[in-house]
Amino acid sequence: MSERMKDLVVTQAHVHPQQLLVDHDAVRVVDSTQEIVSAAERLREALRNDEITPSAILEIFEKWAAALSDRELHDVPGATFLRLWLRRGTLEPVLLRELGANALRGGWWEDGRARLRAFPLGVVGHWPAANVEIQPILSMTCALLGGNACLVRVPSGLVDITRRVMTKLRVADPDGLLTRRIAMVSFDHTRTELHEAMAQAVDGAMIWGGAESVSQVRRLQFPHWARILVFGPRVSVAAMDSATWGNSANRATWCKRIARDVWQFDQQACSSPQTLFLERGEGCNANEFIQDLKKAFDEENAAHPRHEIEPSLASAIALARATWLLRGEGNEAEFPSAPDWTILLGSGTDVPNPTQGRTLTVLVVDDLQEMISKFDGTTQTLGLGIADPAKEEALARAAGRSGVDRIVKLGRMHVFSSPWDGTELIRPMVRLVRYVQSQD
Amino acid sequence: MSSIAEIEQGIDGLLAAPPYGGNGDVQQRRATLLALFKQELAYACEQNPRFRNYVEHWPVDYREAEEIADLPYLPVGVFKSNPPLALVAASEVKRTLTSSATTGQIPSRIVLDAATSRRMTKGVLTIVRDFIGSARRPYLVVDTPENLAAQGQLGARGAAVQALGSFATEIVSCLRPGENGDSRLDVERLLECAAKWQNSEVLVYGFTFVVWTQLVQPLQQLGLTLNLPNARILHSGGWKRLLQQAVTRDVFASGVAAVFGCATERIVDYYGMVENVGVIYPDCEHGNKHVPAFAEVIVRDPLTLKPVKVGERGLIQVCSALPTSFPGFLLLTEDTAEVMSYDTCACGRQGTSFRFAGRVPKAEVRGCGNLEHTRLRQLQTSGVV
Repeated sequence: MSERMKDLVVTQAHVHPQQLLVDHDAVRVVDSTQEIVSAAERLREALRNDEITPSAILEIFEKWAAALSDRELHDVPGATFLRLWLRRGTLEPVLLRELGANALRGGWWEDGRARLRAFPLGVVGHWPAANVEIQPILSMTCALLGGNACLVRVPSGLVDITRRVMTKLRVADPDGLLTRRIAMVSFDHTRTELHEAMAQAVDGAMIWGGAESVSQVRRLQFPHWARILVFGPRVSVAAMDSATWGNSANRATWCKRIARDVWQFDQQACSSPQTLFLERGEGCNANEFIQDLKKAFDEENAAHPRHEIEPSLASAIALARATWLLRGEGNEAEFPSAPDWTILLGSGTDVPNPTQGRTLTVLVVDDLQEMISKFDGTTQTLGLGIADPAKEEALARAAGRSGVDRIVKLGRMHVFSSPWDGTELIRPMVRLVRYVQSQD
Repeated sequence: MSSIAEIEQGIDGLLAAPPYGGNGDVQQRRATLLALFKQELAYACEQNPRFRNYVEHWPVDYREAEEIADLPYLPVGVFKSNPPLALVAASEVKRTLTSSATTGQIPSRIVLDAATSRRMTKGVLTIVRDFIGSARRPYLVVDTPENLAAQGQLGARGAAVQALGSFATEIVSCLRPGENGDSRLDVERLLECAAKWQNSEVLVYGFTFVVWTQLVQPLQQLGLTLNLPNARILHSGGWKRLLQQAVTRDVFASGVAAVFGCATERIVDYYGMVENVGVIYPDCEHGNKHVPAFAEVIVRDPLTLKPVKVGERGLIQVCSALPTSFPGFLLLTEDTAEVMSYDTCACGRQGTSFRFAGRVPKAEVRGCGNLEHTRLRQLQTSGVV
């Protein structure tokens, strides 16, 4: 244990055991533009002084992943996924694919008569969404792998979780090779002048979130050279062919997968399924399917109950139920008295406006291709359960043409990987330097 | 199956009783209401197949419900639909009430037939009489005459102004339409009336924000006092804009009392909404809002949607037995309140008492799955396609 961590144990011995060893400096609550400017200056200084190879970064990440397995982090949503993400086995292939064969040691690679090498863009600003607990960390790791320094705005609701996870990085990185390239700040989302200060201090930005917040950040005055990478806002849908959902032997398993995708992130992530399309089939009964789905939702809810809800979301769920059923007798629904979950059943090929909050609209369609043809680029992920591989490939091709960026198996809709939202995660935040030797 | 005549008889019985305690004990009152709501739900299901579809999917069969809280309620947002949700034929609609939606929002539309309209007036009178007595008196409306005259389609302000008209010996509006579509205080007319009514009981009504910005502030600027110590000022409507200007309830009350020259106790804030026809909730002398015999208020925990305990806050559900022209018996609002008591308030009024806590705040977490417009809709709105 480093001297610094020992100090933390002593000074914070009065707090809850789970918060022992939490480094409160890992995320600083800032109140002035000067604090942000100073943090950015320190990051630039670190970039000037150190060069770090992707391989060295992976080594620290590997130790960080191991540190995250501590029991005290078991209640952090996404901690398990983060552990897997940080493993060399996960990130090395991503690095090799995005930055080339020599990427690990940070060297040059041949490109005809020239050589290429990835260099960091500089200081990358991160504006993660507030609805995915580990997103500040995920976003940051992508830019760090490119050798960048990171200035991260942590949404106020995620400060505690982020501090707990970052404390483990300090354990894994006692010499500060990575931590001195990171500055995490938190401030109220309405503090435009602090957002502005952050935007002006960075060379690149990774922006995640809903329409309102993304638009707000994009309006900031970034330097003219800054590269802006936007993830979201998007919605996701699921689809099943009749051979899959009509098969009573496997239906319960598929329903569990769907429930898992709906529950994660309280259905507020861009990869959360909002609508499930069922291809009509002879002998297939949608009501039977809904009963299995209802059971899966009940079980998932028992395993992962909500502990709080925004009153506005409870209102929105009540309104979605009523609006759906008041449209007429063709529309059906299943829901408990509480706003825990809602299944709305009907027919049609249009994706309805999402309610979120574990409200899944299930629509029976004649042809899944027709539903895909209505996508307008808003759809991020198409979760599939299709029995026939040829049919699935045709659907994937049509979905790609209609703007879908991820086509995955149901139950794996949230598995974060590169590319995401149709773009690579590391390469956009590096400069590829071309070097042609002066001597032939 | 319930006949409308049976239902009307039940409603009239409740309306005839003293509003806050003369209808047996609280439990008996709730049992009477529960039975009436079940009849009304059955009737509504017969009248409107879309409403029946909703009720049939409710997790609890309303016929078996043992509490009003178990009955199927509608969120008020469903009344933003067009055509409005109705239980009567269009030919029977006498008036359509619209809510005071803020800019860019769709207002609720409530259809009233003659019977519901009559009950709406009677309900408000019964409640207000309990607070200010039954004597008729001069009625000063802090609004324009146009809002008094409206019939057919009536906004929330107009409905509130008109509802108190039965207490009036004469009605005077103290605002005049301005040149830019706004309104301005008719100071001359106001002072003339104030001089005439000086020692009389006077009823004053206006929207909270209008009373402050169009009456109190102009009079303060002019340094004028109306000298109406017997004025009773009723006001309703949101506080959001006033609170943004740092006008708290105390600042408001002392400001109004100063320009009228009356005690702050004579100023009564009440909560109400057009969807909850015939029911308003004035503050009693202990600052609590009360529910009359023909209505109920349930405050629901957003997490479970179950009723909260005394002292807890949640979403307000308003229940009223009065409407039969639209399914507005049981409505989940977008407002929050704290339950003060389920039995008796220190003021002596029986039944549920509560304190309004504000509108449901807009969700703060706007995740990456939060789309305000699809790409196609965005392009259409901007005229690109």
